[in-house]
Amino acid sequence: MSGGDTGLELLIGRVLRAGVTASIVCLTAGLLMLFAVPQVSAWLLQAGIVILILTPSARVVLSIVEYAMARDWTFTLLTSIVLLELIAGAVAAVVFHRRL
Amino acid sequence: MPVVTPLLALIIFVAGAAAGSLGALLGIGGGVFLVPLLNLGLGFPVSASAAISLATVIATSSTVTAAKAGKHLMNFRFGMMLEVATAAGSVLGGLTVQLMSQSHLQQLFGIVTGGVAVLTVARANRRNVILDPNADPGLLGGRFHDEETGATIVYQIKRVPLALGASFIAGNVSSLLGIGGGVIKVPVLNGWCGMPLRAAAATSAFMIGVTATGGAVIYYVSGQLLPAAAAAAVLGVQLGSWSAMHVSPRLPIKVLKLLLASVLGIVAVLMFVRGVR
Repeated sequence: MSGGDTGLELLIGRVLRAGVTASIVCLTAGLLMLFAVPQVSAWLLQAGIVILILTPSARVVLSIVEYAMARDWTFTLLTSIVLLELIAGAVAAVVFHRRL
Repeated sequence: MPVVTPLLALIIFVAGAAAGSLGALLGIGGGVFLVPLLNLGLGFPVSASAAISLATVIATSSTVTAAKAGKHLMNFRFGMMLEVATAAGSVLGGLTVQLMSQSHLQQLFGIVTGGVAVLTVARANRRNVILDPNADPGLLGGRFHDEETGATIVYQIKRVPLALGASFIAGNVSSLLGIGGGVIKVPVLNGWCGMPLRAAAATSAFMIGVTATGGAVIYYVSGQLLPAAAAAAVLGVQLGSWSAMHVSPRLPIKVLKLLLASVLGIVAVLMFVRGVR
């Protein structure tokens, strides 16, 4: 493995940790307020879930940028396909859901 | 669908903690235990249980990957290449699950966990090491420092199409059943594709975040991911896996394998029987 991957590894580690931490803070606060302040709770829970789900995708975006900057076009392409697949899934689910 | 009362949130939290600690102890994700607890124990539909479980899977993958970053155990290149297949599998699985019946999903869960139980007992830990530390790992292979032996481990990747196929199936099963899919990928990567067990496990844990996202996004958009229940489960699993890693004494590997196989066997039978009835 090249030295460039070590930097990427540490960067990805930091992004994932930050995402999980932010999500856990929102989810904990949301649960604690579930019956005291329902509206704030609902908002916090949504935020926590969305942050949690988007964290791995943020890691994918980061990898695309890093590989593009290193002019590693094979892996820029592969990681871009992964992101497109995830987006396509979400779009298909919206379309599907409206039909059912 | 049960209404999430404070008591139910607490029960889900405890179920998450139990599943998370058992999973961490056995070296697999907690999803395989959490889904039956939510479905059979608490009466959530399989799809809602899978959605909640996938949220915990994403959290676990992110935490584990962050903790392992910088140790070179994770093979990023190979993992990201396999993600192309696993994401396709999980997106397709997330869409087909909308068309499947509760009883078919329970049967499938029983069959998959039963298969995993057999694999756990049967699977070998292949070392897959090229002894010369200066050997070329190739474009996809890896090189890492083994903390236990102090040696530098080098390995090459074999049978890439097989790894891609296993990743696609793991992604598919992940979305359908709400598990991470590591139980499918790790034995294949270790047994046939040349990766040492620890590298295979770390790379799989890294990929699982994207795998579970493919399914979780679809469940979320379709309104099947219940925020309060998912929050309680995520916090429970995080606490459970953290405490299992930091508090518990390490059990001998043979005991762990037998424990895992018997628990999985029971889960498999329970889910399958419920699905047939």
